[in-house]
Amino acid sequence: MEIETSKNPLLLSKVEEPAKTPSGWRIIWRELVRDKVALLSLIFLVLITAFVYGISLFLDQEEIVTVDLFAIHQPPSADFWLGTDYGGRDIFGQLIIGTRNSLSIGILVTVMTGLIGIIFGMVSGYFGGAVDNIMMRIVDFFMILPFLMIVIVFVAIVPKYSILSFSLIMTAFLWMGKARLIRSKTLQERELDYVQASKTLGSSNFRILFTQVLPNLSSIIIVAMTLNLAANIGLESGLSFLGFGFPESTPSLGTLVSYARNPQTLQDRWWIWVPASLLILVLMLSINNVGQALKRATDARQRRG
Amino acid sequence: MSFLEVTDLKVHFPVKGGLFGRTVGHIKAVDGVSLSIEKGKTYGLVGESGSGKTTTGRAIIGLNNITSGKITFEGRDITNIRKVSKDIRKDVQMIFQDPYSSLNTKKRVIDIVAEPIRNYEKLTKAEETKRVQELMEQVGLSPESIYKYPHEFSGGQRQRIGIARAIALKPKLIIADEPVSALDVSVQAQVLNFMQDIQKELGLTYLFISHDLGVIKHMCDRIGIMYKGRYVEEGSPADIFNNPQHIYTKRLVAAIPDINPRNRAEHIKFRQEVRSEYEKSYDKYFNSEGLAYMLQPVSESHLVALPEKG
Repeated sequence: MEIETSKNPLLLSKVEEPAKTPSGWRIIWRELVRDKVALLSLIFLVLITAFVYGISLFLDQEEIVTVDLFAIHQPPSADFWLGTDYGGRDIFGQLIIGTRNSLSIGILVTVMTGLIGIIFGMVSGYFGGAVDNIMMRIVDFFMILPFLMIVIVFVAIVPKYSILSFSLIMTAFLWMGKARLIRSKTLQERELDYVQASKTLGSSNFRILFTQVLPNLSSIIIVAMTLNLAANIGLESGLSFLGFGFPESTPSLGTLVSYARNPQTLQDRWWIWVPASLLILVLMLSINNVGQALKRATDARQRRG
Repeated sequence: MSFLEVTDLKVHFPVKGGLFGRTVGHIKAVDGVSLSIEKGKTYGLVGESGSGKTTTGRAIIGLNNITSGKITFEGRDITNIRKVSKDIRKDVQMIFQDPYSSLNTKKRVIDIVAEPIRNYEKLTKAEETKRVQELMEQVGLSPESIYKYPHEFSGGQRQRIGIARAIALKPKLIIADEPVSALDVSVQAQVLNFMQDIQKELGLTYLFISHDLGVIKHMCDRIGIMYKGRYVEEGSPADIFNNPQHIYTKRLVAAIPDINPRNRAEHIKFRQEVRSEYEKSYDKYFNSEGLAYMLQPVSESHLVALPEKG
């Protein structure tokens, strides 16, 4: 039998074969392949991201946002592929850099809120009791703060801000939902026997949290972060549109759309705001499609693949 | 001094309610349990659901907080086992009831079985792999399967993985919390026999928690019967099965099905007799709260919860 043959050193060395890949990724992939819309969305997203980040390497933001009085409100032409705005600035360049900025902010905010939410939610849910109580009251406190008002004040008092500082201010008000989600899931997980087993095997609480519980939360985290990415891009564009986001010197999708607040631009100069609006729409739809497919992949009853 | 000695163990859970979540009462899950286990023996803890047998086991290994009482292991106080030194803690391990939830589904078998080894011993990757393969062999699983995930195994195989993890540190005492009740009957015997084999091989001591009297009879050298957090009877299998003294034990033993269909009518009659006796003499065996009395010795090895005479 096996017990006998495995004493053979030749057989033992066979075990050093490469480890099997986790089946989770395969499930996600199957789900994406089955859902053609989601697959197309994913391809589109990858292409857009690669394109935007690739091209923006060769573009100089300073040069693009420099006012050129001789080229105001040019319609699309060979020189300016998507025309120019009221400062004679190339819309195509602004679109590329703006998409890059918007994507960067979306990703940065998603990752930062995710990290804070995961750590906060897991600690709160795992330890429970008084710790949970105090931490959730902190969450409640942040929840009731008027997000928009504080962002407006922030924009007013900070004269010049970068992608990072803008992401930080957004993160400060957007991590609570994730913390609550992760907490509720951790509350479920900690009651399971494998956590108890780890305790009896001498693992420390933090070790259990990050090596045992975290992998079991991975699917819900991936789904929540993907869907959040779309929301965060939308939020940044919305703030910029209202004039509380980036100034014109740092183009983003929102600043381009906000040019449409000028009725003349809205009516006669479509090239300024239509591409950016379409891009926002398509980006958010695509991310959502992928997110929905991921969501289905985590729930065996909803899977199509 | 016996190997494991539990003295007057109490585990009470507070009941929160009312305004501001005040403690309005206590559930006495375990209420004054004393037991002692000798080295290399198997001690069986039987009782119905909610009788506190699992809580007793979990309290010993530190998964439930102990309200009062004392636990000594090889003469050392381990009442607060999560705080005592590591080398004692690794001597007490546990096998869980549910082989599905007790193995982390996101981990490979090598990570599951190596978890205690990584916590207590510093081994290189190669040594660790070898050790896990040896353990897998010991529990009768193919050493090549260490890179598989738990869902690729059957229930019985998963329980063996759980056992491999529990014996990885060469413990002295294993608390087996209904280790076979989630398994198919055909697999139960297989796992039980295997547990007896490794007991002989490694000189293990078991605290075997079960509600299945047949399993207990097969496995144990000494049996304690619990009801509502207290002992009603304790003794050797012969004492319990051939000479039950407490009415609760009598009913339990009478409830064991008789395989021979010819005795069926007789068995039913016997069961009904015991039942009417139970109803008649309930007040004699239980106090006004419906709890069992303190244990009184009736013979050298046999203790029964009877009201004090006189």
